[in-house]
Parts: sequence; C-alpha cells; structure tokens
Amino acid sequence: MLLSAQEWGVVALSAKVSGVAILGVLPLAFALAFALARGRFRGRVLLDALVHLPLVLPPVVIGWMLLVAFAPAGPIGAWLWRLFGVTLLFRWTGAALAAAIMALPLMVRAIRLSLEAVDPRLEQAARTLGAGPWATFWRVTLPLCAPGIVAGAVLGFARSLGEFGATITFVSNIPGETQTLPLAIYAALQVPGSDATVLRLAGVAVLLSVLALVASELLARRQGGKGAHVL
Amino acid sequence: MGRVVLRLLALCCLVAAALLPATAPAAENPAGRGPLVLAAASLQESMNAAADRWAALGHPRPVLSFAASSALARQIEAHAPADLFVSADEDWMDDVARAGLVAPRTRARLVTNALVIVAPAGSTLRLYPAPGFALMQALAGGKLAMGDPAAVPAGRYGKAALERLGVWNQVQGQVARAENVRAALALVAHGAAPLGVVYATDARAEPGVKVVGVFPAGSHAPITYPVARLTSSTHPDAEKFRRFLLSAEGKAIFRRFGFVAH
Amino acid sequence: MSFDPAPSFDIDVVLARGQLEFPVRVAGGGGITALVGPSGQGKTSTLDAVAGLLRPLSGHIAVGGTVLFDAARGIDLPPERRAAGYVFQDLRLFPHLSVADNLLFGWRQAAPERRTLALDEVAGFLDIAPLLARRPHTLSGGEAQRVAIGRALLSGPRFLLMDEPLTALDPARREGVIALIARIRDAFALPVLLVSHQQDEVARLADAVVEI
Repeated sequence: MLLSAQEWGVVALSAKVSGVAILGVLPLAFALAFALARGRFRGRVLLDALVHLPLVLPPVVIGWMLLVAFAPAGPIGAWLWRLFGVTLLFRWTGAALAAAIMALPLMVRAIRLSLEAVDPRLEQAARTLGAGPWATFWRVTLPLCAPGIVAGAVLGFARSLGEFGATITFVSNIPGETQTLPLAIYAALQVPGSDATVLRLAGVAVLLSVLALVASELLARRQGGKGAHVL
Repeated sequence: MGRVVLRLLALCCLVAAALLPATAPAAENPAGRGPLVLAAASLQESMNAAADRWAALGHPRPVLSFAASSALARQIEAHAPADLFVSADEDWMDDVARAGLVAPRTRARLVTNALVIVAPAGSTLRLYPAPGFALMQALAGGKLAMGDPAAVPAGRYGKAALERLGVWNQVQGQVARAENVRAALALVAHGAAPLGVVYATDARAEPGVKVVGVFPAGSHAPITYPVARLTSSTHPDAEKFRRFLLSAEGKAIFRRFGFVAH
Repeated sequence: MSFDPAPSFDIDVVLARGQLEFPVRVAGGGGITALVGPSGQGKTSTLDAVAGLLRPLSGHIAVGGTVLFDAARGIDLPPERRAAGYVFQDLRLFPHLSVADNLLFGWRQAAPERRTLALDEVAGFLDIAPLLARRPHTLSGGEAQRVAIGRALLSGPRFLLMDEPLTALDPARREGVIALIARIRDAFALPVLLVSHQQDEVARLADAVVEI
C-alpha cells in the first residue's frame, strides 16, 4: 500500500501510542484480573464495575475526565508537574494513557477468563512439590494463562488503535504528536474529496488489526501447545 | 495469594515509574516548531492554507489541531498549553474569555460565513429564501439534510433561519439530522438528500454540490469565527501569526475558501 | 525390608467436609499404611490434610516425628514445606511442560541436599526414559501414572501419599504398579500412606491397614 510520508507518520505514531499503552497497562490489567478472579475481598463487585466503566461510558466522557484530572491544576496533573515536571496534555503519552484506559476492560476480561480456566488442582500439585505461592504463580499459573494474556493484549491493542473520542477530547488532534489513525481519518473526513486518504488510512487500520490477531494466534499456538487458541 | 496481587501491583508501579520520565518529555516548543493553534474543524482547509503561506514566508509552520470548538475550549480551560484559539462560534470564545484565558486585547473577528442551500451538482433548481418560500415543494418528498439543530451550530443557525422565514413547521418532519455539517454535506453530494442547509464554505469545498440559494444575512444571527491569543501562549511567533491571519493577505486566503472577511 | 520401624504416620484430626465433621485417626507403623473404607468417608481428605491442602478443624498431624500440623500449638506448615510426595488420583501432570520438566518440577524446587535421586535413575527405575521429551497429553494412562509417581519421588519427599494409584489401570498394569510401589518402599525407605478400595491388592501390599 502506497502511503505518503505524512500518512506513514500517522501509522508509526498509532503503533507507538498503542504499543506503549498496552505494554504499560498490561501488569495493571493482570493484577486487576487476578484480584477479580481469585480475590475474596469486600468491594470486589465495586472494583469490577469500575474496571468496566470505560466499556459503558461514552469515550468523550472518559476523555473529559482525563482532561480534568490531568490538567495542570487537576488533582493528578498538578502532582505530576510538581514531582516530575511533566504534563500529559497535548502529548502522545496522554494519547497512550487514553488508549490504555479504553483498552483496560477488554484486557481484564480476557485475562480473567483465562485465569479462571486455570485448574487450581494443578496449583495445589505445585505446592506439594515444594513450590511456594510465588513460584507456583510463575511456573504454573502464568504459563497456563499465557494465551489469555496474549489474547487480552491483542484485543487491547486493536481497541486502542481505534480509540477516538477519549483521545481527541483529552489531548486534541495534533499532527505528529497526538493525531493517531482514527483522528487522521476524522480530519480527512472533514475535507471533501479526501476519500482516497480515508480509504488508505482505514485500510491500514484493518491491516494492522488483522496482522495483530494472526500474530497472536500463532504465538498462542506455540506457547500453549495443543488446544490453546486465542480466538 | 494476596501476596501475589500485592507484588503485581508493586510491579505496576515500577513499570509506570519507568515509563513516566522516559515517555513524557515536557519540552517547551521544540526547535523548528511553530505555535500551537487550536482551530474549529470546519477551518481545516483554510487554516492549513494560511499555515502553508506563513511557512513559505520563512517561519516555522504552526502546529494545527482541529476538533470541535467545544472540545478545544475545554482543553484550554484545563490549562492545556496552546498559543491561539480559533472558534467556530462566539459562545465558546466567551466561555474561554470568562475563564480569564484570553490574552487582553487579542480577541478579534477573523471571518464570517454565510448559510446556503445546496443541491447535487447537476441540479437546475434555483431558490430565493424569503418568507414562505417554496422549500417544501423543492424537496419533492425528499429529505432536507442539515446538522442536528439540537447540537450542531450549523443546524442551529439553519433552524433559526427557517423559523424566521416561516417554513420550519412545514419541513421539520423531513429534516435528516446529521452529526456534523460536513456529514450533512455528504448526504447531498452522494444523492441521499435532494437539498441541504450548510455553510457557504462547505458548499465551496465539495464539487459534488452546487449552491441553489443563499439565506439573507438578517434571517439568522451572524456566523462568526473569532480568534484570540491565549494567556498560556509562550511561543514567540504566536502573536505574529495571529496578526498575519488578520492581515489583508491572511483574509484573502480565507476568502478563497468562501469565507467573508473584510 | 529396610524401612524405619519407628511410627511414621501419627494422625489424629477432625476434618470438615461440607456440613459434616468426621474424626480420622491413623497410627501407622513404618512402610505402607493403607486407608480403606467405602467412598465418601474422607480418605482423600485425609491425604489432603497431610499434604497441607486441607486444614483440619482440630487435632495434629506428624510424620516420622516431624509435626506438620498441631491446632493446639498453632503449627500449620504450608504444603511446600511438608515434603509430601503426593501422587494424586487424577495425576495432575502439568500440561504446559514436557515429561522431563514435569519430573524435575519438584526436584528444581528442592534444596540441594534433598536431591537424593537423579532424573536418569528415576526414569530408568520407572521405565519412562523414552517418554522424556513428550507432553503429558500424549501419554497412556499407565505412562502418565508412572510419570506422576516419578515426579513425586524426584521432589525429595520425606513420605509418599498415594490416592488410588491402581484404579485407572488395566489388570496387567496394576500388577506392575503394585510391584513398583513395593520396590519404592524397599529402595527408598519412604513411609507411604495409600488410599485404595481394592481390598485384595491392599492386603498384599500394606504393612498396616486402617479402616475409615
């Protein structure tokens, strides 16, 4: 597919934003999935609902909440500025944060399902063989739910590639900084006669998602042996 | 297993701490970058042309961010660091000004726009919007495409004008409410609606439509695009670019795209 | 027979299963102690309690003089510190690991001084050396059974717990495993707590029989 240098820039930025978003949020997604799958604590239902908020709220509302929270005068933004001298507003890191939050519920769901599918009797067996809780986690639980983790990461990656509402509301639409694929498509849609650009960018979005899904399927097959499928 | 969760959360914090400084450089206007201009999405072609011309004059090209005026205004009110704001209506500029974020004496009317009726390019129709004009007959049972009057400014202006001319009650059952004015334009260009109410600039940009009628200026409130420099502006070129936009050369660029600028 | 004649299993606990509470008392000699009785009477629960997977309501569990659990004294060793070689009825081989990695799972966790057996030794003893590179799901029932026994032996256990090690096997294999268990007892001098409902076979194997 022939893209202009500018369009390649958009694609590269999208890949960077989504990649950093998913890698950054993966440990959190796993911890949340673990707590929801295994934890027996008060407030579990509440935590479950909170995690799913980005799935049910309009993305612009999430974007607006991020804007308020991360504004230089906002509760988190002021703190980040004072301690680290950084701001996420109008930065690609802000786009990555928005993408990560929108992808979180999908990732937690996929990982949680795979954790719940891990047979606790295998973990008991590991314990009787001398593995403590942490070793059991690393050597039994984690490898057994690896396909689910990969599936969650890929779903999240695909979701964050398509993230629009929260991003444009939070970090605006700045070419080269926050203008990811969907924002570039939106911008092109505002200009009559740019159907060719829209089609090319949309084609790239489709291609990236399909590639990610295929890659994850292959990966899961190799890791999980027989019967391990992402989709 | 609670210990596992705790350790995972600790791992999260470590990852976040590692990412934070590495990925969030708070660089102020990196060398070679022009001022950051937040502009209404409907100004995309004209502002890009103005930025190109400014760059051709030997200045760093301004960085343009196009979104709905409402979204941009909220970003400014969150103290996002930007240089200029060009709004598609006065209300959002008022909102920003009330928050004390407009630099004193920098707000000005950049351009105005006209409201027109468009039909697909091959149409031979001719309409003269006046009290009681024959819009209903011209639709011939088809839809009238316009921005949603409840949410989209162009739709709001269009509804006001049609009410003033006394035809809103006849046609309101046939209005196709689009999510934005460019979507309404596309409905006409692709033949999904025989007529649409859009801005003169939209009609100019879309070769698939032609203007078959112009609303008299008195039939709706003035459609104005104010520009202002923001108090958060730090770029040395910000004020110069604002003045360029308002100069004769700048306004000529906007006229090329169908705006009215004096 | 070269086993330690000192009392091996000293179990006196009350177990809970659902709404039911039932006492279990085992005072085994050395060698193989068989738990017999109709199903549903808590034979597997007893093994789980000894392994540390099920917490008794009260009482105490000691093996070979080492206290594993004592409600009165607040002692409750976690499973990984009990050194139980537990051969589960459902085997519980790790599906994501090769046979060799399954066998070495406990061996790798064990302190060096408890790694008294080597992989080759155990694989030869159990006749599973040709299987080492395979995955558990490709094994027959008898092969999987021997891998599970090997995994328990290699973990450096102080005693073995075997839950119905014969049921899943055809009669020919059964004879082989009975001989194997007898050889393990004699070769490794490990006390064995064995659950079975096959009375005749138990009678041939066990040094002591406890009815639950």
